[in-house]
Amino acid sequence: MNRVHKLKFILWAVAGLAAAVAAARFVHGLGATTNLSDTTPWGIWIGFDVMGGVALAAGGFIMTAAVHIFKLERLHEVVRPAVLTAFLGYVAVAVGLLFDLGLPWNIWHMIVFWNPHSPLFEVGWCVMLYLTVLTLEFFPVPAEEFSGLAKVRRVLIKARLPLVILGIGLSTLHQSSLGSLFLIMPYRLHPLWYSPILPLLFLVSAIGLGMMMVTFESHTTAWLYRRKPETAALASLSGVRWVLLLYAAIRFGDLAARGQVRALAAADWRTVLFWLEVGAMAIVPALLFSTPRVRQTRGGQWAAASLGVFGVVLNRIDVGGLAHRANGSRLYLPAWTEVVISAGVVSAATLAFLFLVERFHVWEQRPADPGADPHRLPEFDKVGTTWLGVPGVAGRTVYSLGFIFAASAGFALLAPQPAASRGVDLQPVHRARGEKTLWIDGNLDGFGVEFPHERIQKRLGGDASCVKCHHMNLPRDRNSGCYECHREMYLPVDAFRHDWHASPAGARLACGQCHPQGQSRSAAGAKPCSGCHKDLIPAGATIQVKQYRAAGYVQAMHELCIGCHQQMAAAEGKPDFARCGTCHKERRGITDAGDLAAPAEGGGILLPAMSR
Amino acid sequence: MNAAILTDTTKCIGCNECAIACRRVNHLAPDAPRRWDREDGLSARNWTSVVEGPHHTYARQQCRHCLEPACVSACPVGALSRTEIGAVVYDNARCMGCRYCMMACPYGIPRYDWDQPVPYVRKCILCYGRVRAGGQPSCTEACPTKATVFGDRGELLAEAHRRIAAAPGVYVNKVWGERDLGGTSVLAISNVDLSFLAPQHPAGSAPLPETTALAMHAVPFAFTSVVAAMAGLNWIIHRRMTRQAEEPDE
Repeated sequence: MNRVHKLKFILWAVAGLAAAVAAARFVHGLGATTNLSDTTPWGIWIGFDVMGGVALAAGGFIMTAAVHIFKLERLHEVVRPAVLTAFLGYVAVAVGLLFDLGLPWNIWHMIVFWNPHSPLFEVGWCVMLYLTVLTLEFFPVPAEEFSGLAKVRRVLIKARLPLVILGIGLSTLHQSSLGSLFLIMPYRLHPLWYSPILPLLFLVSAIGLGMMMVTFESHTTAWLYRRKPETAALASLSGVRWVLLLYAAIRFGDLAARGQVRALAAADWRTVLFWLEVGAMAIVPALLFSTPRVRQTRGGQWAAASLGVFGVVLNRIDVGGLAHRANGSRLYLPAWTEVVISAGVVSAATLAFLFLVERFHVWEQRPADPGADPHRLPEFDKVGTTWLGVPGVAGRTVYSLGFIFAASAGFALLAPQPAASRGVDLQPVHRARGEKTLWIDGNLDGFGVEFPHERIQKRLGGDASCVKCHHMNLPRDRNSGCYECHREMYLPVDAFRHDWHASPAGARLACGQCHPQGQSRSAAGAKPCSGCHKDLIPAGATIQVKQYRAAGYVQAMHELCIGCHQQMAAAEGKPDFARCGTCHKERRGITDAGDLAAPAEGGGILLPAMSR
Repeated sequence: MNAAILTDTTKCIGCNECAIACRRVNHLAPDAPRRWDREDGLSARNWTSVVEGPHHTYARQQCRHCLEPACVSACPVGALSRTEIGAVVYDNARCMGCRYCMMACPYGIPRYDWDQPVPYVRKCILCYGRVRAGGQPSCTEACPTKATVFGDRGELLAEAHRRIAAAPGVYVNKVWGERDLGGTSVLAISNVDLSFLAPQHPAGSAPLPETTALAMHAVPFAFTSVVAAMAGLNWIIHRRMTRQAEEPDE
């Protein structure tokens, strides 16, 4: 395998992995497949895919401006790849956004429901329009190969200048408006990044990035296809150093104007991040491009440009989320699934790029497949009758295998993921311990309640009082413990164990023994439990079971105890008897809660996470 | 009328009746602690909560219903809007799930249905339907100690200042929500500093939508000038190059 085949194999495998994750994302929702939270609603999909992607695609408007407006003819040979990169970049942004949006099928709402106050509305419209412009700008390239499209091609080439000017206008708007998005978050974004001139900073850095991205991409593909790079033409792009120096000047000038210079030396990891970012995106590339030996050699151009590209993308990720003041206790780090989706989108875009440059006239010379021998005969299989195709496309078997194996691996890795990250930490209830006095601490966190079982039993009337609390018995049991049915600390669970009843290892019941024939098999039509278990509900039970759904343990305990306590507090004139601290001795802050003896009508005291 | 809520934390006993009433009236499904929750107890299924502050002070966390809401100005499809009574409400039929409102809110109030394949943004809507029908929000109705009350914003502000003046030394001399970020419809007075309710510590009295307004107003101007400049430059450069090409012949 040569370089191109190896790269394509890896890209197909990443795309396969991402395909599996994408399926999980849409089936299970964002919570199960990302580390996004109410604290950090935007993550790497916005920071890298959208903000980084739009910036990386800036080469399109820079190069069309350089060649078609400023008539820098020596750059003519890099215009087509730059426009193609921009086109695919924006397609990747749109696709990446579909994963991030909670309701991606509503993405078209921006066309009909307008809010012109919103920077995001403006970005959305500009991206939609500019993607259309890019399609029209690039379309003449593939159209060359199809004689039927000659007329369309002629029209589009005639319309090129207006299209280019429109594209520059739209790009200026949304490259800067991506910065405007964050103007509304002065308290969220760190002061080293937040600035009223964020739109200007975004625009200037996008211009710099556009020039460096073209250099980076040209050299990378030249290495990949063993093509002759456009080093001489690209040397004229080293004027980017003035853009980068201008950027650095604005950035530091802005910091000084806002009085944030001291933050540049603060002992904070964000200060390190700031210097890393500004160094990589502006200072170091500007110095490198100022060195004649760097800007005239292939390796030098590549190194300086890739450093700059890394720096600007890092800047977008910082502004997009990394440099936000953690306004909760947790720091957001992307889940592996988020990284895989981002990588998958980039891989797919790269594969599309490679396909298009191999198939169409994007470069001056279409790259030859370095591994293919133009004089080889078509291959046949061993038996000698089935044609396997031209050797040049034989890689498809390997690519498909890579895709399929990676997708399978993705599904295997994902299997425990959705269940584990539904967000609910299931908390099984532990039984109360003790005999005369029960120690009730269902989640074993040390904040328990001492329940004087024997004393309460005597007070309520001895053995006859069991039914005042114990309202349901397991078969062949008396006065079953609360935790038997209320098995979950917070969530209501089913007290009826369906699987056990149907299992050959359990009750061995056939469906028809509970679900009548000819009806849909649901809980509604099924035989009630009392149909078999006569003594399930003890006679005279105070609490009436209405459904076989056991409330969460905390809720069950509170509903059981608090009602009686309130009645007794009122009857005996002892408000202390119904305070939270009456039972919860240890919990800090609860002991001196207010007087709860006279609650509102239908009241009771429940923790926030409970329903009635 | 600008509907408003005033909460006096010195009267709040932390009983959570407001949160329970809210869940009942708004038909919110039972909730459990989730990975994506913030510490303040709000979630897609809990639109108001009681947060314990210093010295066992209990304060209500809920949507502030800003007079100039950042979320409304941020939403690209206008799914969030401020109604005639001052309630900031959400239209899930318009939403596309970008979550820009959650990023924009300085108080971090809107929450998301992270566990749903079809998720929506959730937050307090000031019981818009009940208030418009002449009633009051379920939370203020349920409060056993009248610590949180409903009324007209102007009257409640006057009441808040009256209480602060009547008990010198008890309250911090500030009505939270009176001027913060342009003012909010949810007001609070307290014996402690309530800044723990807003971990981003928004400050000042300038409404947040103003921060983006300038950039958004500049958009048509920027577009026109860039397009005009490009067309002009192209024309000049093209002309100069044509002349240069002609010169040797002359």
